Amino acid sequence: MLAGACLAQAPPAATPAAGAAPAAGATPAAGDAAAGAAPPAAGAADSGDFKTLDQEVQSMKKDVIDLNKDLFVLEEELLFPANTQVAVYVSMDVGTFFALDSVTVKIDNKQVKNYLYTAREADALLKGGVQQIYLGNLKVGKHELVAFFTGKGLPVDRDYRRGATINFDKGVGAKYLELKITDKVAKHQPEFLIKDWE
Amino acid sequence: MRVIPAKLVLLACFALGAAGVCVADVPTMVGRDAPDFTLKASDGANLRLSEFRGQVVLVNFWARWANDSRREMPALDRIHTTYGRAGLVVLGISIDEDLRRAEDFADSMKVSYPVMFDTGSEIGRDYQLGRLPMTILVDRSGVVRYSHLGYKRGDDRLYLDHIRELLRE
Repeated sequence: MLAGACLAQAPPAATPAAGAAPAAGATPAAGDAAAGAAPPAAGAADSGDFKTLDQEVQSMKKDVIDLNKDLFVLEEELLFPANTQVAVYVSMDVGTFFALDSVTVKIDNKQVKNYLYTAREADALLKGGVQQIYLGNLKVGKHELVAFFTGKGLPVDRDYRRGATINFDKGVGAKYLELKITDKVAKHQPEFLIKDWE
Repeated sequence: MRVIPAKLVLLACFALGAAGVCVADVPTMVGRDAPDFTLKASDGANLRLSEFRGQVVLVNFWARWANDSRREMPALDRIHTTYGRAGLVVLGISIDEDLRRAEDFADSMKVSYPVMFDTGSEIGRDYQLGRLPMTILVDRSGVVRYSHLGYKRGDDRLYLDHIRELLRE
């Protein structure tokens, strides 16, 4: 931490020094002082060049990031146009009665995703994270989504496998579905729901 | 287009073989990002390769019907025991289709590193498995840096040379 603090303070200390160098060199206006003034002036020029170069590099990096973002958006629009797009998300609330192991998603009786959760990922969901488990295309019309959740029932360590189904209408816009795992406190059991975000 | 005579190709293969480089052993994955995977380990935990980013990972693909696997696993276990504390992760992946028999085999080998089971063979495809066992080394940034097909006595020393180098980076 101390080293970090020192490093963080280094640039402000160096800046006035670099700024002071030309001023010091400029004071003796006489010709004999010119030789002495030359090296700091050259150093300042070098430092200026480096600064410009650094700014250019930073600007190019920003351009690359912007381009990458645009490309990602374009790719997404091209591969998953809004009129056919369907996105499925997973969220988890509390998790006192269930430790998530995997989720399988079937759309119209065809398995589109089987996802195994590591302890870290399950923990991230418990902390409020929402995961996009599937992004695909569907034709306009009626569809059925079935999700299977496997894991351990808590506090008794027993295998758990539950399913949830939703029949939904795919309209012209994008469709968002959320697979929600919550605790049903009254029954001391987990609950698996699918929410259709209109 | 000129057609290279078959004899010339054979001669080139022979020369490469003599130099210790078999055409089948060409490490095609080296220099590429290691394809990510998540598999269930024998202890029930799900492990994802990308979660070991920052550590050196040795991935060993094996099958119970590959005799060399039986000889290699104890050597890998010794490597895991010795270099685990230095930041090396060893993962064994069975590509056996018969899960039960693969689990029994893994139990009988009594290795201390995580053993996982890929019954779907998708990961094998991603890693372009040719011959078994196959061992790859993934560096701290997730790039495949070494690939080795098969196993014969002493090959573990080759692994160690590369492991030490990667751990020093």
